[in-house]
Amino acid sequence: MTPEEAKAFVLQEAKKRGIKAELLFQEQRERSYRAFQGRLEEAKEARQRGLGLRVEVEGKVGYAYTEELSPEALAWALEEAQENALLSGKEGFLPPGAPLGRHDLLGEGLSAPPEAKREAALALEAALREDPRVRVAQGGYQEVEAQVALASTEGAEGAYRFGVAVLLASVVMAEGASVKQAWEAEFSREFHALEPGRTALDLRQKTARLLGARPLKTGRYRAYLEPEAFISLLMVLAPMFSAKEVLDGKSPLMGRLGQRIASPLVNLVDDPTLEKGLMSRPFDAEGTPSRRTPLVEEGVLVRYLHNSETARRLGQENTGHAFRTYKGSLGVLPTNLYLAPGSGVSPRTGVLVTEFMGVHAGANPVTGEFSLQALGLLLEDGEAHPVENFAVSGNLLELLERIEGVGQDLTWRLVGPFALGSPTVEVAELSFAGA
Amino acid sequence: MLQEALVEGVLRRALQGGADFAELYVERSRRRRMTVRNGRLEEATSGLEYGAGIRLFFGVEVVYAYTNDLSPQSLLEALETLLRARGEAGRVDERGAGGLDFRKEAPRGLHAPRIPLGAKDKRYRLERLLEAEAAARLAPEIRQVEASLQEWEQEVLVANTEGVWREDLRVRTRLFVLAVAQDEKGVQTGYAAPGLSLGLELFDLYPPKTVGEKAARQALTNLRAKPAPAGTMPVVVGNAFGGVIFHEALGHLLETTSVAKKASVLADKLGEEVASPVVTYIDDGTLPHAFGSSEMDDEGMPTERTVLIEKGVLKSYMVDRLGSLLTGYRRTGSGRRQDYTFAPTSRMRNTFIAPGTTPVEKLIEGVEYGLYAKELGGGQVKPGSGEYNFAVQEGYIIRKGRLEEAVRGAMLVGKGPETIRKVVAVADDLKTAPGMCGSLSGMVPVEVGQPHVLVSELVVGGKA
Repeated sequence: MTPEEAKAFVLQEAKKRGIKAELLFQEQRERSYRAFQGRLEEAKEARQRGLGLRVEVEGKVGYAYTEELSPEALAWALEEAQENALLSGKEGFLPPGAPLGRHDLLGEGLSAPPEAKREAALALEAALREDPRVRVAQGGYQEVEAQVALASTEGAEGAYRFGVAVLLASVVMAEGASVKQAWEAEFSREFHALEPGRTALDLRQKTARLLGARPLKTGRYRAYLEPEAFISLLMVLAPMFSAKEVLDGKSPLMGRLGQRIASPLVNLVDDPTLEKGLMSRPFDAEGTPSRRTPLVEEGVLVRYLHNSETARRLGQENTGHAFRTYKGSLGVLPTNLYLAPGSGVSPRTGVLVTEFMGVHAGANPVTGEFSLQALGLLLEDGEAHPVENFAVSGNLLELLERIEGVGQDLTWRLVGPFALGSPTVEVAELSFAGA
Repeated sequence: MLQEALVEGVLRRALQGGADFAELYVERSRRRRMTVRNGRLEEATSGLEYGAGIRLFFGVEVVYAYTNDLSPQSLLEALETLLRARGEAGRVDERGAGGLDFRKEAPRGLHAPRIPLGAKDKRYRLERLLEAEAAARLAPEIRQVEASLQEWEQEVLVANTEGVWREDLRVRTRLFVLAVAQDEKGVQTGYAAPGLSLGLELFDLYPPKTVGEKAARQALTNLRAKPAPAGTMPVVVGNAFGGVIFHEALGHLLETTSVAKKASVLADKLGEEVASPVVTYIDDGTLPHAFGSSEMDDEGMPTERTVLIEKGVLKSYMVDRLGSLLTGYRRTGSGRRQDYTFAPTSRMRNTFIAPGTTPVEKLIEGVEYGLYAKELGGGQVKPGSGEYNFAVQEGYIIRKGRLEEAVRGAMLVGKGPETIRKVVAVADDLKTAPGMCGSLSGMVPVEVGQPHVLVSELVVGGKA
């Protein structure tokens, strides 16, 4: 069956069974090239599509999905979704729907010929090897183009297309006995905005400055978190703003609306309407139109992120942050979440943290506590010495309160299904464990 | 899952297009997930995944395509796109002229479940989850409990131009319980997550009540725990999931994915002493019903037991087809992938440190002041530098050879090749535990394991 036929089939079957149904259809095309030692090492071409179902039966909700679009598979999915809904112990509903239009956010962004993209991967890898200290280099190019369509028995009907191009670089650099490995990813909605030479230079410089690192003495130091390091922390902070986590008792921001939770220098915004945003979209996974959503204003928590269900349960306004892939159930996620740039920082004495590692294991989004392996530079009166083999620990919410400077160098990263942005951040003092 | 004529047609066309080797991977998976919270079913999802991956080798250059439209037209189109990507479109090589003679092998049922995915109704599953959830409510401080069940049934076919046609059926089941405890001082979590390559008999082996209680006790322990100390000290690492330390610090460094590129600090060290002589490290894909076991890997090669390190000496890497081509090492049945959307790479299966002879008590008795890392959380490693980290989920201070107060929030950091030399004693109580391992070819189910192990010094990241 074609996706259109599958959609019509499911909507008709649902009506026959007397149940409400919402269909999320996603189709994705991916292309990637990876270069190693001056040659193309891997090329990948992919197409994947799937249909996610959410049904409402007797005031309860159930889910199922299928990648096979045969009548048997579609009927199986509908049956499973209905059974899952009936077993549910929770009230649920499908929101009323409206026509949402068809949108193209990608345009000509990825229209360059495949050869140009292959060359970008090769050029990136070659540029990485220009430094003799580089032992292993890998350069890659990847692009994803996706089509999302939403339809429901409640009248929702809309679609949009978006895409992103990425340069991926990794190096192992060595000097004497010191070896460092690092990665870099440069994202854009336009292939032509990517610059392999600049990405390579950035990664080489970023890695080389850590060579010859020495152990750091255990103690408390003023910390300067580079954008990439603070983005790692934002990954852990992001779910705390989800009303779903708040309702599940899993967010330390529960009950703190209207309170100061961070230094007055902190302004956190999620904006799905950013013109060049990597994860911009016209509407969310259940058809709520997107709009700019401030979360923290001058340190004060002003709202949580919502979908229709969490908004109804908390009696707050739906911000349009429903997230779902065709395989998943309804959740809440940011789109383009960023720490707004401030007036600048000038690192003096302390530790410049360039990277945190193992964030998924070393930071707890329920409590905010973290203890993370880090890399960086010890700054002593303007002089910088690379340091390694240490961990930084504390509580993320305390860290937010101790922010004493926010830079102007806003940098973006795509982290799974959402984009995060941050400038350099200065923190009064943090606990460092090392030698 | 696919007609032989279609499989043969695709593979022959690949050879005609100039490929030295071609492989077709077809997968049909059914997944179910149920989550219980606050004494009721919170969410249930069912899914059907179906797709194919085509991999071609041109020398050591790999091209990979996947699609979940498995019509002949779509598969051949995917193949032509690949050939075009290399500028080989339209080429007709005579190598593809002859027929392929497949040696067909069906699954032997080595890890087959007694209670398959279709057996028992959903209500039965729901009742077991409710049992686990209720059992975790041990004390008033337990504020939140989440219990979930994940079932995964994966049918796989691998066929290639060497005549391999092998099928496998993998059934995996995992129970998760997360407990959140809270008092006036703060919030702490605990969890337990047994999983095996079998069906609902998991509930007989790991009664839901026991699993729920384990998660809750860990959360309560962490609630009364003090912040972990910071600094360098001896560490006794617990058995079972404690093995994640060497999964990260050692296992990932022995995969040809990084070894072939010399992107591992342990590349080119076969036959050399790389670890303390008390360490023997094994990766075994054949352990009956273990979470990381399967009859064949995702390149259609039967799995095996691979001794990686014997008494400190490096004996073997984990080698997939491409890794073997690049290094000349023998394939070890280690080519794995999350699903059809990934090309396989060399991955761990069930990896563990072999038991030693020291009783556990002796390990702890010898420590003047240090940390007992009883349960570990996840971690991460950079194979190129060996730098790794992992979180301590449940830890205690050792003082004058005795276990004392519980501590929380500790993070162990170090460099794998250094740590593995600092293992001074290995106990006799080997256990393994399931986990999901993420790498180049996606998330794959594995087991990690070890007996209790004493490391003479490690950096503990706690409160300075």
